[in-house]
Amino acid sequence: MVDLEKLRQTAKDIVSRDDVKHIIGWKQGTYGFRVEPHFAAEPDEADALTFSPLCTNNLATYLTLAEKLPVPRGEEPDTRKVALMVKGCDSRAVVQLLVEQGLTREGVYVVGCPCSGVVDVKKVEKMFPDILEPAQAYWKNDQIVFQLPDGEKEVSREEVLPQKCLLCRYPNPVIYDELLWDEVKAWGSEDYEDVKELEAKSPEERWDFWKDKFSSCLRCYSCRNVCPMCYCEDCVLDRLNPTWTFRSVNLSENTSYHLARAFHLAGRCIECGECERVCPVDIPLMKLNRKLYKEVVERFDYEPGIDPEATPLQASYRPDDEEDFIL
Amino acid sequence: MNSKPKIGVYICHCGINVAKTVDVDEVTEFSSQLPYVKLARNYSYMCSDPGQNLIKDDIANEGLNRVVVASCSPRMHEPTFRKTLIEAGINPFFLEMANIREHCSWVHQDKEEATEKAKKLVAASVSKARLLEPLEEKEVEVEPASLVIGGGIAGIQAALDIANAGFKVYMVEKTPSIGGKMAQLDKTFPTLDCSACILTPKMVDVDAHPNIELLTYSQVEEISGYVGNFDVKVRKKARYVDMEKCTGCGLCAEECRLADRIPSEFDAGVGKRSGIYLPFPQAVPAKFTIDPERCLFLTRGKCGKSPKCVDVCTAEAIDFEQKDEFVEFKVGAVIVATGYDVFDASRKPEYGYDNYDNVLTGLEMERLVSASGPTGGSIALGEGEEAYVPKDIAFIKCVGSRDESVGNEYCSRVCCMYTAKLAHLVKEKIPEANVRIYYMDVRAFGKGFEEFYDRVRREGIRYIRGNPSEIFKRNGRLVVKVEDTLTATPLEDEVDLVVLAVGLEPRKDSREIIDLLRLSQSGDRFYLEAHPKLAPVDTATDGVFVAGCAQGPKDIPDSVAQAKGAASSALGLLASGRVKVEAQVSVVDEATCRGCAYCVEICPYGAIEMVNVNRMGHEVQVAQVNEVLCKGCGACVAGCFSGSIQQRSFKDRQILPQIAVLGVLR
Repeated sequence: MVDLEKLRQTAKDIVSRDDVKHIIGWKQGTYGFRVEPHFAAEPDEADALTFSPLCTNNLATYLTLAEKLPVPRGEEPDTRKVALMVKGCDSRAVVQLLVEQGLTREGVYVVGCPCSGVVDVKKVEKMFPDILEPAQAYWKNDQIVFQLPDGEKEVSREEVLPQKCLLCRYPNPVIYDELLWDEVKAWGSEDYEDVKELEAKSPEERWDFWKDKFSSCLRCYSCRNVCPMCYCEDCVLDRLNPTWTFRSVNLSENTSYHLARAFHLAGRCIECGECERVCPVDIPLMKLNRKLYKEVVERFDYEPGIDPEATPLQASYRPDDEEDFIL
Repeated sequence: MNSKPKIGVYICHCGINVAKTVDVDEVTEFSSQLPYVKLARNYSYMCSDPGQNLIKDDIANEGLNRVVVASCSPRMHEPTFRKTLIEAGINPFFLEMANIREHCSWVHQDKEEATEKAKKLVAASVSKARLLEPLEEKEVEVEPASLVIGGGIAGIQAALDIANAGFKVYMVEKTPSIGGKMAQLDKTFPTLDCSACILTPKMVDVDAHPNIELLTYSQVEEISGYVGNFDVKVRKKARYVDMEKCTGCGLCAEECRLADRIPSEFDAGVGKRSGIYLPFPQAVPAKFTIDPERCLFLTRGKCGKSPKCVDVCTAEAIDFEQKDEFVEFKVGAVIVATGYDVFDASRKPEYGYDNYDNVLTGLEMERLVSASGPTGGSIALGEGEEAYVPKDIAFIKCVGSRDESVGNEYCSRVCCMYTAKLAHLVKEKIPEANVRIYYMDVRAFGKGFEEFYDRVRREGIRYIRGNPSEIFKRNGRLVVKVEDTLTATPLEDEVDLVVLAVGLEPRKDSREIIDLLRLSQSGDRFYLEAHPKLAPVDTATDGVFVAGCAQGPKDIPDSVAQAKGAASSALGLLASGRVKVEAQVSVVDEATCRGCAYCVEICPYGAIEMVNVNRMGHEVQVAQVNEVLCKGCGACVAGCFSGSIQQRSFKDRQILPQIAVLGVLR
């Protein structure tokens, strides 16, 4: 079970170490059901850390997102470890970053938080509208208990979990230096019901579906910016020469943008669902990513973000790979 | 060098190859109007001396600094025109070719449409030409040594030719002796030379040659590097016999507890050998080897009180403690002469090879008729009191060749003649025998082949056209069920012996060499040469040549000829001492590289490594291309997520405008 005392004490011990720069975790947000990332560099800053069904963010993205400011002449860059709190899905991002040499194993200290599923804040806000005071929540068996200004409310997990959590097969961190509490029992299945639903439609129906979704895209790039696997210094989709995707917000360019991203994530997406969570217009991006995930598993027997020693899928080749899908 | 582009466009008629379907005058007129084009001309053969002089004169007189040649595929003549540019004093990479032959005139009939397409192709090349950059061709030194993989006749000949020219040769042979398949043959067609008599002197030459280091019972484990500078690692498998001490006396094999109990590979299983063995009497080196998979002491840790070989060896050469050894060396060129496997007759179950003792393969028959074979050359079947001399003998050709059902569409090229030879030898040894040959076609195409075929027929050997459907047993005799397709007569032919003229197949382990040297296979799964006509001994990997049956079925003269060709190609490289490396290589943009190292995994040539660079005070890893190793294949460019790798002369900003002109991009 979640033990916040242990969490904070562990965090204090970690940041007290000379070889650790800071620990990245979650803290209570300023309003409603929001939780925000917290960078604790000093032991007393660790008191704000928390872990609850509201801790939706995948903090692994900060491993690569953290800006590397120019080091003033005569100074040395800070090469100390970064400690990171991870849920199961977040830990897979760490593994995939290791596979892609985005970080070194020595450069990161992983604090594992076995997780029973985090909420879809949009669902919760619909259920309990207009909560402005910071609210809290905790797991209780198969329920999630919300602590609201007018008392506690128990809700079944099915009602408030996002689909990625309902389908989750890796609730426990797959890599860690320290595990904060006992592992939970995994509940997800591998039957790709969500993907099959879309596959069953005709190509025209599918195109109509995506046309509708992509048309509403604002091109805010939140999905790309939040994605732990999108860490290119200079994204090809931002380039002007050559311009692979134009900036105009229309169906054609939006489609090109989303398809390019989906293909860049094939064999790399670790199913954290952050893209879908942050989308302001609710484009079900995980349907796209999960389709490619399924293809990769079925065709190449490859799951990203599990084995830090694996060769990246898109950089590997086996002579007996199936090629029947190549026209 | 990068002054304002002045482009010359040269349109080639290629005789009538282009001019017949493309209006070259119209394309010339069109080209002269394109941006940055100073002049456009057409000529009957641009690759000819006068054609090249046109370009040179224009560069001198008109100040051209870019050249577009619209002609054939660059594969053949890009080097020609690059040389023209060098001679005219401009960088050879200011050349762009538009392929209006293979991509246009040869594949279209309508002259109007073909002309329009040619215009687009030329316009596309012109748009790229103005964006070309000068490149520098680097040269590297060549290690004056070569590696020959395989010690059959092809490998032996190639090694001797290179060694005789004064260069070091490392010959690596997988089995305990060199000699290969040729050593197993009795006589050679059509001259009936004794195979061993002409081969063994060459084997001895290899062993004795001061320039050849012979590594038998060895395998190439790793090859890295590039043309002129290959690093080779060879595993010398443990023989459990000290090569220095072994005198080859053979007492050990006689005394071995497994003597005459293990099928001999050399005798194609017809004869038997011991657990410690010399593959055949003339083996080179004449040193014994212990079979680690059969030897009682090695497999069970016990062989009587003490192994008999140890007891009898006066030289004290047996050493069960021996371990595999590794040898490393550097070579400039590699010759692959790994040979073939004979077709496994079990894959044609209708011929009953697995069921009947008197159904033999050609190679088994070869050992049976050989004077050095297990029967001393007498064709006797059965054992002891049941031994008999076959009277009715049938040969069946094209077993495993020209047969789609087993995946071999090709002709094995030797079976027609070896069948004729074996039939002749049988007739010589058993004059009263009735010999017939079932065939689909008789292909007697080589020097002296047709004459030999005639001779064999005159000796009373019957050729019956028909592809047997089945072999079964009736009253203790074999029955060949077949239709004589010349007379449309179904036959059931009762015989004492059937010889299956099995074809040649790529070696089962051919994948190993492919992985080591990045070779390709042709449709028949043999190693692919660089060009079927003009580069038949070269491969797609520079500095790697192929000889003998590894490249496709061949007879001995052809194998020797190809080996000499491969040796001469390797020698050209070794003797020149320097080799040019690809200039159109990949380059990494360090500023945008995200350091994911996908390209390192993708590169088939091991040309990319990760290096630390300082990015505004932070140490970060980025990819770096070794320009000597890079072959310019472009795989890394396609695999780079952030578009941080570009290939020189094929940069996005060079080829995208080219594609745009073709009307596919905005």
